[in-house]
Amino acid sequence: MNPTRRAWLRTAALAPAFLTGCDRLISLAGRDLLGQGVPERLNPPDGSGIDADFHLLSRAAFGPWPGDLDRLRRMGREAWLEEQLHPERIQDSACDLRAERFESLYFSAGDAYEFRKPVLRDELTRHSLLRAVYSRRQLFEVMVEFWTDHLNIDLEKGDCIYLKPSDDRDVIRRHALGNFRDLIRASATSPAMLVYLDGVSNRVRRGTQDVPNENYARELLELHTLGVDGGYSQKDVLEAARCLSGWTFDRKRFLAMNPSAAFFRPDWHDDGEKVVLGRRIPAGLGARDLDWLIDIVCGHPATARFIATKLCRRFVSPEPPESLVARLAADFEGSGGEIRPLLRMLFASPEFAASRGQLFKRPFKFLVTALRGLAADTHADKAVLEPLQRMGHGLFQYPTPDGYPDDELPWMGTLLWRWNVGFALAEGRQPGVRVDLTPLRRALARAGDGAWFRHLIGRLPDATEQAALRSDSEAEHLGLLLASPAFQRC
Amino acid sequence: MPLTRRSLLSKLALAAAPGLKAADASVEEGHTLVHVFLRGGADTLNFFAPFADDRYRRLRPGLALSEREVIRLDDHYGLHPALRPLEAAWKEGRFGAVQSVGVDNTSGSHFDCQDQMEHGDSMHDTPAGGGWLGRCLRLQVGDSAGALTAVAVGRVLPECLRGAPAVSVLEKLDDLSLRSGRQGNPEHARKALAALYGAEVTLLGRRGVETLDLFQRVSALHGRAGAPENGAVYPTDPFGDGLREVARLIKARVGLRIACIDLGGWDTHFFQGGASGQQAGRIQMLAEGLAAFDLDLRAQRRRFTVMITTEFGRRLYENASLGTDHGRGFAFMALGDRVRGGRMLGSWPIQAEEDLNLNTPGPGGLHAETDFRRVFAEVLRASFDLSAGDIAKVFPGADLSPVGLMGT
Repeated sequence: MNPTRRAWLRTAALAPAFLTGCDRLISLAGRDLLGQGVPERLNPPDGSGIDADFHLLSRAAFGPWPGDLDRLRRMGREAWLEEQLHPERIQDSACDLRAERFESLYFSAGDAYEFRKPVLRDELTRHSLLRAVYSRRQLFEVMVEFWTDHLNIDLEKGDCIYLKPSDDRDVIRRHALGNFRDLIRASATSPAMLVYLDGVSNRVRRGTQDVPNENYARELLELHTLGVDGGYSQKDVLEAARCLSGWTFDRKRFLAMNPSAAFFRPDWHDDGEKVVLGRRIPAGLGARDLDWLIDIVCGHPATARFIATKLCRRFVSPEPPESLVARLAADFEGSGGEIRPLLRMLFASPEFAASRGQLFKRPFKFLVTALRGLAADTHADKAVLEPLQRMGHGLFQYPTPDGYPDDELPWMGTLLWRWNVGFALAEGRQPGVRVDLTPLRRALARAGDGAWFRHLIGRLPDATEQAALRSDSEAEHLGLLLASPAFQRC
Repeated sequence: MPLTRRSLLSKLALAAAPGLKAADASVEEGHTLVHVFLRGGADTLNFFAPFADDRYRRLRPGLALSEREVIRLDDHYGLHPALRPLEAAWKEGRFGAVQSVGVDNTSGSHFDCQDQMEHGDSMHDTPAGGGWLGRCLRLQVGDSAGALTAVAVGRVLPECLRGAPAVSVLEKLDDLSLRSGRQGNPEHARKALAALYGAEVTLLGRRGVETLDLFQRVSALHGRAGAPENGAVYPTDPFGDGLREVARLIKARVGLRIACIDLGGWDTHFFQGGASGQQAGRIQMLAEGLAAFDLDLRAQRRRFTVMITTEFGRRLYENASLGTDHGRGFAFMALGDRVRGGRMLGSWPIQAEEDLNLNTPGPGGLHAETDFRRVFAEVLRASFDLSAGDIAKVFPGADLSPVGLMGT
């Protein structure tokens, strides 16, 4: 949408709103000037199975924002995907306006200690939710969530709360669509990861009986690269830990050039020869052991399979199709861990097309798809994040390094809160969210029967759904829709 | 490996549809641990007053309870008169305490000490991640946790439950209802959801129907069925209200394992009061609430244990404003059939510093003689069917040898 002079004036006239806070102004600017509104007319899918374009938006994005589906149809799936694979080319100012105001996210790992813990937690989680809901770089945000789980860090452990904001920025977001080896290399020396998995205390001092701390080395092999069945032994874990010894983080380091970065202490490093996964790392390499190790584990065939399987589980089906896993793994090995071609292949595959409706939305995705589907206006304050807590999906709070699971079972105990969030959103009662149904109602007015259902779920309702969802109240109908089993899947 | 184990579990859950009822029944019979946190650092030296101790009388000229004021328990200790509602439970051996429990944190900071206690950590080790009850729930129920497996009464998630598979934070049971519009009548929405989820032959469909059943059961309690039994009268304050709701959940047999409830107002730096006054009012609130809870649940006494903790105790001496300042050790308390109570465990005479101790770090007061994790682990062992290995995972690296507070 082109910002017209009239719209500018209208917004300018509202400048006094700054006196009561800038949230409302940001919302208006986003809606009126930066294309965050609802188009005049929407054409929701009308097939009995989930529409293929809708399917792509449900998986490679957090569901469609009103108008996304029509835009994708005009572009074609391939062109849309190509655009999404290059987020740097996508203008995202409406989202930036909402999400770039959190000061603590710009600080280095060491300097973030200036903030109080609640501020850090609040800003990091709000930023993540706002990006997921409002960014046009949807595939990027979807991958940020994927890698955040893959390289999980719990804010509550040690000093992680001070260190995760820079990890989110410099590790996860910097490499989300880049190269897997670069991602793991960055993570290995991320202060947050060094603290979370005890790398900071992995030291082997000369002339002592020090035994390396294996924690990170084990998770590097088990969770980040090869996978538990990847064919490594306890000996490999120990050898990897020896390679990593000496890498540490100490923000109080005296006379440091950069107290915010991890650094290598030669006097804590075991500099003897190591053999990892059958590959020899000669003695005396010092800090370079790390790069040798990362090359070995990232280049291992088991890693290619592990990442391919995990991507399929997240984006295709709980039972990853072997044919697709094999092709993705081969591509991963061939490209040296490039993430973009992997995603291009995955989303264009027939296995992906055949998997419609097979995945269960975790609470975060449930909330984000609902907010997007309703073109909701939120600044993600506490009241909006609270339901995630209730549903067991508080952001950056998963305690163990395997990250929030993809399986559906762990999320089944909190369905009531989903239903109530659905009802509250539909009835405009959810604190911290404004939902104005008028423009959506107008845009769907000529769409025909079951328009709300088709808009939110991407297909026609079946007979049971049609009967059960019947209501003389639009809000109740919509609430039931968000609470229905069909909306819990994608 | 989590992934394969989980997918196996989900397959089992799908395969065992008819068997689910049986599994449910055992859950319903389960034990509930009620975790009461006295926020602010409670001066437990005046809960269990060492009336016979010279130092106590000498250092607290304005605050010490005299032999005449206390409810005499033995030659050393007497209960604060406001604890009278719990006197009977003490005499029956269902209410007990351990003297000089504490965290090894020497900062004297409410925030640090609460955090450390709720995370179940030591100041000297790497934190285990999440809260201790969160870890416990993950080991105990894991993926099968339901909406009412863990409940925190209040508005915020307490740190001790962080990382739990599911927690419901609620102020009252009414929060546990389907909230669709229609002037507060969710019946139409409930029927619609029953039809939608009932038509699904999947895990999602079944768990949806179960969830609807669960809330039917809870909403049945909203009326007269939820009234306190045996003439129990809860005090009309948020703590009493919260305990009443916890009791209703226990009676409704919804699989409640852990309930957390806070009582604040213990940071008595000024005008703490003795047999009456500021602190006496809080003690009364605590005692009346717990006594009502115990009476209300008389028929279900084997099904719950209440533990009462605080982040630290207070100094032995009173300050110039007739209050007490932050100390270290405190008396940990527990109430329930599995408690071997009616006595004060821990050393006698009380190990205490009379003033700020310059040789060891941290504030004076009672020593933190018994690491809190030993006592917490003992409560866990008595409450739940957890292996020694699991308990060690809840408190990694800690000495968890028995204290003697709990039987089974």
